[in-house]
Amino acid sequence: MIRRGLALAAAALLALAPLLAPPYQVTLLLPAFAYGIALLGLNLLFGTAGLLSFGHALFVALGAYTAAGLTTRYGVLSFEAIVAAAAGLAAVVAVPVGLLCVRYVKIYFGMLTLAFGMLFYSFLYKFYALTGGDEGLRVLRPLLLGRPFAELDKVGFLTGPFYYYALALLALATLAMRRIVRSPFGLSLRAIRENADKAAFVGVSVRRYRFYAFVIAAVFGAVGGTLLAVPTGLADPLLAYWTHSGNLVFMLLLGGFEHFLGPLVGALAFIFLQDLVMSLTAYWRFVFGALLAIVVVFFPRGLLGLVAPERPA
Amino acid sequence: MRTTRRQFLALSGGALGTAALRLDAAPALAQNAPVKIGVLAAKAGVLAPVGESGLRGVQWATERVNAARGILGRRIELIVEEESSPKDTVERFRKLSLQDRVDAVSGAISTGVGLALGPVAEEMKTIWLSWDATTQKGVEETLPKPKYSFRSTDNECEAVMASLLTARHLKGKFRTVAGINPDYSYGRDNWAAFLAIMKKYGIELSVVSELWPKLGATDFTAHVAALGQARPDLIFSCFWAGDTPIFLKQAHAAGLTAKSKLVLTTGGGVHEALKKDFTPEGAILGYNCLYFDWARASALQKEFVRWHHEKFKEWPNYESDHGYFTIVAYKAAVERAARAAGGKWPAPDAIIQALEGIEAESLSGPRRFREDHIMEATFFQGMTTHKNAYDFVTIDPVETMTTKQIQKPSGVGLYDWINSWKV
Amino acid sequence: MQRILNLACGSFYALGAYTGVSAVTWALGHGLPAPLFLLVLVASGLALAVIGPPVERLLRAVYDRDESFQLLLTFALVLMFEDVMRFVWGTAPVQLGNAYLVYGRLAVAGSTVPVYNLVVIAAGGLVALGMGGLLTHTRFGRIVRATAENREMSAALGVDLRRVYARVFTLGVALGTVGGALVIPATAAVNEMAIDVVVEAFAVVVIGGLGSMRGAFVGSLIVGVLKAGAIATWPEVEMLAIYVVVIGVLVLRPAGLFAGAAP
Repeated sequence: MIRRGLALAAAALLALAPLLAPPYQVTLLLPAFAYGIALLGLNLLFGTAGLLSFGHALFVALGAYTAAGLTTRYGVLSFEAIVAAAAGLAAVVAVPVGLLCVRYVKIYFGMLTLAFGMLFYSFLYKFYALTGGDEGLRVLRPLLLGRPFAELDKVGFLTGPFYYYALALLALATLAMRRIVRSPFGLSLRAIRENADKAAFVGVSVRRYRFYAFVIAAVFGAVGGTLLAVPTGLADPLLAYWTHSGNLVFMLLLGGFEHFLGPLVGALAFIFLQDLVMSLTAYWRFVFGALLAIVVVFFPRGLLGLVAPERPA
Repeated sequence: MRTTRRQFLALSGGALGTAALRLDAAPALAQNAPVKIGVLAAKAGVLAPVGESGLRGVQWATERVNAARGILGRRIELIVEEESSPKDTVERFRKLSLQDRVDAVSGAISTGVGLALGPVAEEMKTIWLSWDATTQKGVEETLPKPKYSFRSTDNECEAVMASLLTARHLKGKFRTVAGINPDYSYGRDNWAAFLAIMKKYGIELSVVSELWPKLGATDFTAHVAALGQARPDLIFSCFWAGDTPIFLKQAHAAGLTAKSKLVLTTGGGVHEALKKDFTPEGAILGYNCLYFDWARASALQKEFVRWHHEKFKEWPNYESDHGYFTIVAYKAAVERAARAAGGKWPAPDAIIQALEGIEAESLSGPRRFREDHIMEATFFQGMTTHKNAYDFVTIDPVETMTTKQIQKPSGVGLYDWINSWKV
Repeated sequence: MQRILNLACGSFYALGAYTGVSAVTWALGHGLPAPLFLLVLVASGLALAVIGPPVERLLRAVYDRDESFQLLLTFALVLMFEDVMRFVWGTAPVQLGNAYLVYGRLAVAGSTVPVYNLVVIAAGGLVALGMGGLLTHTRFGRIVRATAENREMSAALGVDLRRVYARVFTLGVALGTVGGALVIPATAAVNEMAIDVVVEAFAVVVIGGLGSMRGAFVGSLIVGVLKAGAIATWPEVEMLAIYVVVIGVLVLRPAGLFAGAAP
């Protein structure tokens, strides 16, 4: 009950943020929302199914490039269409990739996903004419529910309609993921993580369930990617680079992968921490590396593990 | 008192939304508060040496301006942030604009970042004085008529000048050509410009190899082998980062530099790393817009070069000059606009207007911003020589060309311009 | 051998490269005859092995947890090492003057090859042979192989796993740092080295097979040839081709080309 109350209070606070917080802090929440959605997917793989992907950035980049391609090349500005296209494209890509990846677990799964991520990066980087190469493709301002909000400047747009749109999308994604995790499918995934042989013995199709989880995670990643691309206004190959995948896992661990809301907390914490540390020192990578090491060694349950140590059902 | 009032406004700005924003931008507010200039400088990775160089130029300019009563009596305060990926740099730009409320932003060199920042500067209505990254795509396709972005010289200037020198000095001395250029727009555009100019000059050549290593690569064994197979008379390269000495070292070891003539449009970016051991004499080498060892340099350049070498034990490269110019140009524009406004601190729009066509003395001589927000400067290239007191190559004779000669004029496509030459 | 996928191996390599430059520059400044620089490089690389035990001690904290945590911990090391090297050596490329051609050049079949390249190739071969000998003919090697095969069984037989792991890891660090030191005469140490190298090293290890020395050797040859072939024929697919092969190997022979059982 208390937990639900807290979550609702946090949601209310987020809804009021554009009215309370300075505009810059509000724009910082946008990538946090985007990463939150992508991480919900990543955590379905890691937290629920026990598979650590080191190539999740592939799908985030796929979403961003979908937004870029549709807005600049094809004149499609409707954000609903962009999100739907990104989700569909991610599913299409995730089917062959997933079929190959889910045959393995643990370190081999991590390596294979890393290789696919780098494969996509090489494609984005090298096929200059198609992808814009190193400098990437611009992402134009989309229409939200068919409306251009032309009367607003970009900051007004980002901290107003786009903020609420992103928040709504995050809420939808969170609710959808909640249903998935609590469904028989989600319970089976958890059973597979705990003991794959036992799960198979009681009739769970281990590989198929892992495959479904992979595709769902990819769709969440791509939807997050579309949201990430709009405030930046550009999709670039670094989004698919392996260090970006590493950062995604970092965020997840920071928030706490054992908790359903860990991804959201992790994304928020990471973004605001990065904003703070980057301004303080040029050696912020060292600080982040040390932080990651500390979290991995001493607090593997992340921030939520500190405040809510027991594992929620 | 002033600061508390500003802080109060900043706080209420959040609560009241955009109304307060406009209030804060009112010019009369802070006559004695410092002028805030945000700086975006790369500090890690392949861009870092050049990014740091730009930052040094900005810092030196700021020290001098502040020592001489600042801008209309207001000190310049720099707020330095890191240029990294496009996404993070866009966020840093927003921070400078929204949170730090800077008067202008100076910096950024990566073409990807430049492409992303252009529109953001317009959206944020924040003056952005770029150090580099003036690509065809960034200027022509995406932001043909910017208001708030002021760009550096065109990316292709170096290639145009090096091509003109090639035509002048090497015509008839080569037939087969290979290009090895970093794999992004800068490399692609420079190579295309070179080929177009060769054609314009009626130089018949055959391209025997086109290689596109990743920017900042550290191993060129395979590339050197491919070049060795292709046996080009001339190798054209616009490397400017740490990959330049590595490529030259490996090419030299494989005997390539003895067989082929070299055209290195931008190697001056890391000129101190081009050791005599592996950099041949007689190669065309470009330093962009600041040649540290120029005998006819102004007193200003000599003073800066001395300071730079004493402080960092390094000889400066062009990015310091780009950085330096953004600060002095901003100062000159504010003062010009203030004269028109009766001595008061001018409004942002008046500063922008004054920046268009503003002239100021940069480290390497006079410079200006064109009316279309593109920088005009002088470029330095020449033939490499070992006859100097350093352990790296310099150039002799030093050739200079201005952007009037090597930069396409406003509103004309690069290749249309090249094709319109009378040669 | 330890079933650790060490993302920080690129950082050790870069560290070896930077340190090699500093050590040789210092030694030459103190009157070392130029042809002996190779010894200094190897010595500085070996000396860097001292960072092996403390890093291994850190990784030990997560040995009994999911392997993913080891992967993450090595990612943390990548971030930290990058800034440490930037702090110590700055951002400009760092290189050795004329060491590369001290041993001269050879003309082979119409192309010119620096003798130093051959020295490095020979050193690579020696290291491979040495590792092979170490693993097959020494007591330590037998213990390592037995442990890699079945850690519970070796522990039950009285093998001190901690000590074996610490030594194996330190050996791995030393190979990385010496490797970085050996290439530096032919290149320059730059900031982004670590992050670039690790993906190639990763490809090598996957193609050859995790835990297989012979595999790693052949894997590196395959990656090298693939890269050179792509650059000479179709430069667009240079990087792509490597990952396609990596994925192909992972899918068809997940344990690599040179390992026995699949995971």
